[in-house]
Amino acid sequence: MDLRRKFLIFVPYAWLLVLFLIPFGIVLKISLSDTALAIPPYTPKLDWSDGWSGIISYFSQLDFENYVFLTEDSLYYVAYLSSLKIATISTIATLIVGYPIAYAMAKSPSHLRPTLMMLVILPFWTSFLIRVYAWMGILSQEGLLNQFLLWIGLIATPLTILNTNWAVYIGIVYTYLPFMILPIYAALEKMDGSLMEAAEDLGCSAISAFWLVTVPLSKPGVIAGSFLVFIPALGEFVIPSLLGGSKTIMIGKVLWEEFFSNRDWPVASAVAVILLVLLIIPIMLFQRNERKQREMEQ
Amino acid sequence: MWRGVFVHADGATMTQQQKKTVFEPWDEPNEQPIIQFKNVTKRFGSFTAIEDLTLDIYRKEFFALLGPSGCGKTTLMRMLAGFETPTEGSILLDNKDIAAVPPNKRAVNMMFQSYALFPHLTVFENIAFGLRRSNMPKADIPGRVEEMLRLTQLMPFAKRKPHQISGGQRQRVALARSLAKAPKLLLLDEPLGALDKKLRNDTQFELMDIQEKTGTTFVIVTHDQEEAMTVASRVAVMDQGRIVQVSTPDRIYESPNSVYVADFIGDINLIKGKAYHVAGEQSEIHWAEGQAPILATSATPCPDGADVTFAIRPEKVAISAERPEDMANAVSGKILDIAYLGNISTYHVELPSGDIVKAQATNTRRVARRRFTWEDEVWLSWTDTAGLILTT
Amino acid sequence: MHFLQREREMKNSTMKFGLAVVATLTAAAAAAEEVRVYNWSDYIDEALLEKFETETGIKLIYDVFDSNEVLETKMLAGGSGYDVVVPSGTFLQRQISAGAFQTLDMAQLPNAGNRWDVILDRTAQYDEGNAYSINYMWGTTGLGVNVGQVAEILGADAPINSLDLVFNPANMEKLAACGVYFLDAPAEMIPAALKYLGENPDSQDPDVIALVEPVLAAVRPHITKFHSSEYINALANGDICVAFGWSGDILQARDRAADADNGVEIAYNAPIEGALMWFDQMAIPVDAPNPTGAHTFLNFMLDAQNMADASNYVNYANGNLASQDLLVEDVIGDPAIYPDAATLENLYTTTPYDQRVQRVVTRLWTRIKSGT
Repeated sequence: MDLRRKFLIFVPYAWLLVLFLIPFGIVLKISLSDTALAIPPYTPKLDWSDGWSGIISYFSQLDFENYVFLTEDSLYYVAYLSSLKIATISTIATLIVGYPIAYAMAKSPSHLRPTLMMLVILPFWTSFLIRVYAWMGILSQEGLLNQFLLWIGLIATPLTILNTNWAVYIGIVYTYLPFMILPIYAALEKMDGSLMEAAEDLGCSAISAFWLVTVPLSKPGVIAGSFLVFIPALGEFVIPSLLGGSKTIMIGKVLWEEFFSNRDWPVASAVAVILLVLLIIPIMLFQRNERKQREMEQ
Repeated sequence: MWRGVFVHADGATMTQQQKKTVFEPWDEPNEQPIIQFKNVTKRFGSFTAIEDLTLDIYRKEFFALLGPSGCGKTTLMRMLAGFETPTEGSILLDNKDIAAVPPNKRAVNMMFQSYALFPHLTVFENIAFGLRRSNMPKADIPGRVEEMLRLTQLMPFAKRKPHQISGGQRQRVALARSLAKAPKLLLLDEPLGALDKKLRNDTQFELMDIQEKTGTTFVIVTHDQEEAMTVASRVAVMDQGRIVQVSTPDRIYESPNSVYVADFIGDINLIKGKAYHVAGEQSEIHWAEGQAPILATSATPCPDGADVTFAIRPEKVAISAERPEDMANAVSGKILDIAYLGNISTYHVELPSGDIVKAQATNTRRVARRRFTWEDEVWLSWTDTAGLILTT
Repeated sequence: MHFLQREREMKNSTMKFGLAVVATLTAAAAAAEEVRVYNWSDYIDEALLEKFETETGIKLIYDVFDSNEVLETKMLAGGSGYDVVVPSGTFLQRQISAGAFQTLDMAQLPNAGNRWDVILDRTAQYDEGNAYSINYMWGTTGLGVNVGQVAEILGADAPINSLDLVFNPANMEKLAACGVYFLDAPAEMIPAALKYLGENPDSQDPDVIALVEPVLAAVRPHITKFHSSEYINALANGDICVAFGWSGDILQARDRAADADNGVEIAYNAPIEGALMWFDQMAIPVDAPNPTGAHTFLNFMLDAQNMADASNYVNYANGNLASQDLLVEDVIGDPAIYPDAATLENLYTTTPYDQRVQRVVTRLWTRIKSGT
């Protein structure tokens, strides 16, 4: 019995160790190394054959030079800030688009809800890349959107949307929308309908009842959804690469450039470590929100 | 106390406390009702929830809408609150038609069955919620909330959230919140349904006490006849969208106007038969071959040979080993079952006709020494005024 | 950016989506043996791939890239799984010193005698003794223009054979309206900008390299896109009017436009100030799963007829002397492909940046591209 419990506790920790801590340790180690023209392209490498002295000399060669370098070049600073900005704006935009959808779903007749839920999840049945490519087709100068806007006469010349930050925002909002809708929907759906009636009964108009009751009660869903969008959006690489222009700087893209264009694994790893540190803060806040929510429901 | 209160501990026996003043505005010809339903019909699609209903409710009344689920009592209440509008007819509040007034503009508040407390707000904020939406000066709000907290004995819990207090406390928060705006009319939808029996009984009296202190008109919806009888000044018994009888609890109990009401309120014996007029108010009911007719009184004698139901409460049926001499009606039978309820016992007696009649007797002796037991041959008897002749 | 570039497929083949696009050609003979080749996009006649499979019975898996940097990352990470890769000279040199390649077994390459000594001399500066690599194609980096559009915007005397066309902001400002593409390759664009400034294009001095930043920044607002393969179609379709790109690619655009008969006339010119001469070298990774198959592929490509077919198709010069008799006149006779002696004089080559300079270069490039 005791052994069984120990085993059960061990499984998630083993999982965490193998899939997170060990890879992270490797990345951390690379970030403390120097670049080298070798396979793999960094130094030092651990040489077990030298025994203890080899290990000591190995560790003595590690340093924080790459982190110092990150502070010296404004590119990284700009990229982190720009990622934060893009992730924040995208999260807000996703919330603005997602909330009404979640609200309409929660208010729809209960027999329709499984269908609506399915429609929200449906895009996941297609490859994420295909969907982003589809947006390239929609947003390009000759794309569907421009053709439509030209056809209805709203614009006279095609808008440049693809390869701008606008396209990145559209891409992120589109991609992460279900992550926003589902937690908000879950929060709204379990809300007792009589709360709205009670608010109206106590003198609220429908709009103020929404702001005073529905919104605060869906707050945990909004917070959960926002983190689920913000966290991956911050490190997003594919969407800015495909839809953004060269002016779109995001840390995920910088990371890719460091790795593939510069072939500078140590700096790329340092960028990744800092990104993780940046993400830990929202992830911890997210966990706190979830915990508080669970306490509330007890 | 200005109102008759029925302590109703065992489900059937009632002892009427003394009245200090008579509160019967429905019998005062000059009294203006606060609420008037005038030929109100409410339909949901093809389903008729309320059918051509006319009803007056008076100021300071504690009015109970009683009926089984689906009888339309909740719809009636929601129309008062403004969540539903009548399909036909009109509802007047203080002589004004309120059909077009939205819920948030009505001087009516509702206490919800689920309490509908705002889980994100403290007890204090829940109670202040309605006041903040009213034009009460901001500075006066805390005072009013505290008054409500005191009234409902919730002072120590003001800063707690609803999930941090007990069910009974939540119920009181809901009450305090709905009373805070001092509505003309307070609607209570199954207010005690979520409480356990002991707490429910205590809360009933609290509710009556608060109603008395605030002088608010209460309309309560309930399916629990005991609760309705306990708290209400008048009870409206509803069935399938209609009101079957509106009267004070004692009259509902003692003089139900129909088999439906008689059967719904309390325990009763119903015996079908044909009525024949004897003399004056007296009629006799022929109910079974070879059995003596039941002698009963009725203010309005029915035509000879009419199908009627004779209704008599078990506590009005006496049980004895010998045939009593002075009773107008007496039948013999065999004890089939005894329901022991502590203070009283209900005897189920099978008559030779196969009918089962229930009789109640107080347990003045210990069980071991009680007079009757299973299979005993006993006599059941009652006076000619103990029962009722019901034609519907 | 490179992510997108890697999606580019060979001409005529279906566009597929994924991290790497694999054009798997079904072998006529279903042999278990396979050879994996990683080459530049738009860089081979597909018929040759089929021919190789038919002749050898080896299944050929052919992937494409359009960035030396991406290729190098794969090589230095190790375990790429490729048997033959095609880096350019400078990158080859770095990767050889990193130990990424194995020496060729000349015994397995009987066709090696077809190699052209002129090119061997030049490629030896990257690969001493040509021990690790065989030249696939070579060419220059220069100016592709839509003749009609550029003349319309800049007049008939537009400097279409000068770096002035793309580095002079006055010209670029006007050209922005019709679209200008630059290669997304700092190792190509920085030497060109240095040449425009009259500096040594092969300078390894960070201070000298830094001089190009204002030049590129001044024209940056007028550049439609930095991309290393899209410009072929963009030029051919008339979507853009100028591309700074690789000679053969621009000539392919010229041919595609001619085939489409869409009124677009494309011309390639090596800049008169001097053009970068580059060499794409076939080499075998040190951890190639099938080195024998790799040699078979190299020997197949060393065949005079096969190499001639390749050049005739992609409009690039090759390092195969024996193939020259088999080249069509449009290729062998075009000085843009096989430069005459005078032009050859004017071509320069570069050497790889060391790691420290490489960092400076790539940062500078990122800054320029992002416009910050």
